[in-house]
Amino acid sequence: MTRVTQLTAVSIVKRQGQRPTESFDKAKLHQSIVAASLSARTPPGQADNIAQAVTNYVLEWLEHRPEVTSHDLRLVATRHLRAHHPDAAYLYEQHKTTL
Amino acid sequence: MDIASSLAIVTLAALIHASFQLSVSVLTLLSGHAIGTKTSQARVLRLTFGFVSGVGVMTLLTLSFISLVFLHLFGPNAPQYIWAIACGLLVGVGLAVWFFYYRHEKGTTLWIPRSFARHLSDRSKATKHSAEAFSLGLTSVLSELLFIAAPMIISALVLIQLPGMWQLVGIAIYSVISLMTLFSIWVLISSGHKLSGIQKWREDNKHFIQFAAGGALAVLGFFVYVTKIMSDIAGTI
Repeated sequence: MTRVTQLTAVSIVKRQGQRPTESFDKAKLHQSIVAASLSARTPPGQADNIAQAVTNYVLEWLEHRPEVTSHDLRLVATRHLRAHHPDAAYLYEQHKTTL
Repeated sequence: MDIASSLAIVTLAALIHASFQLSVSVLTLLSGHAIGTKTSQARVLRLTFGFVSGVGVMTLLTLSFISLVFLHLFGPNAPQYIWAIACGLLVGVGLAVWFFYYRHEKGTTLWIPRSFARHLSDRSKATKHSAEAFSLGLTSVLSELLFIAAPMIISALVLIQLPGMWQLVGIAIYSVISLMTLFSIWVLISSGHKLSGIQKWREDNKHFIQFAAGGALAVLGFFVYVTKIMSDIAGTI
């Protein structure tokens, strides 16, 4: 509970400052990992477990950082997701560079 | 130019059109978002089919529109300088595709304005109904006009010379062949293939696709220049 309270204060700098900074949203990160895993045809239960594990890793990484960029957040999440599901990690990483 | 040569030119132009990747990228994003939000497979199929249909309809309409404009402006035989401009455009766009089609970064990011790419990406995420997917298909063809205009213009110039029935056949051939890539991706998604595999293949082969599309545009420009302009000049002499 303490950790979550602390992490709500983490600021996410979006797109090199071109969009307004926003607070870290654990649910949003979790949802994006679930979506990437589902896109890689992972069963929903497994996708949720993977997302939980990756979100926990990211929360640990964020513990002593008051401000991070969305790009760094994505890199860290991708690195941990790769260990669990390489295909999902590839889609998660590629999301911004497909078009 | 006889009917067989004309249809061969239309076929090659349509193959070049099929090698362009913007619609494929949007289809990949659209299906990725749909699958990622636990949408049923039947709904994913409807959405992606709506998108492919939109692309097909807009391709057909655009080619018909360009042909109609040319027919009104020049009649069935366009002046030679128009053919020369079209050939120059093909070679020019071919060179541009070689150098600028993909951005020099990871992934399959294209050289289109970023605001445009963001709009298409956001719309693909927000699309929930087949009708929206259909309109996204229409829009994605317009977004690609910069690259597909050259093969469409040369096809239109070739088509207006043909008898009415063969014009329709030519337009149908162009529309069907230009949809081949999208249709293949649709079949792969429908049959449960992983999007990551499709996207990885696209990324691994992007330079080949870029080289092939640019090269084919230049070859088509040269071929039309020789078969139409040079042969006409030789015939006059």
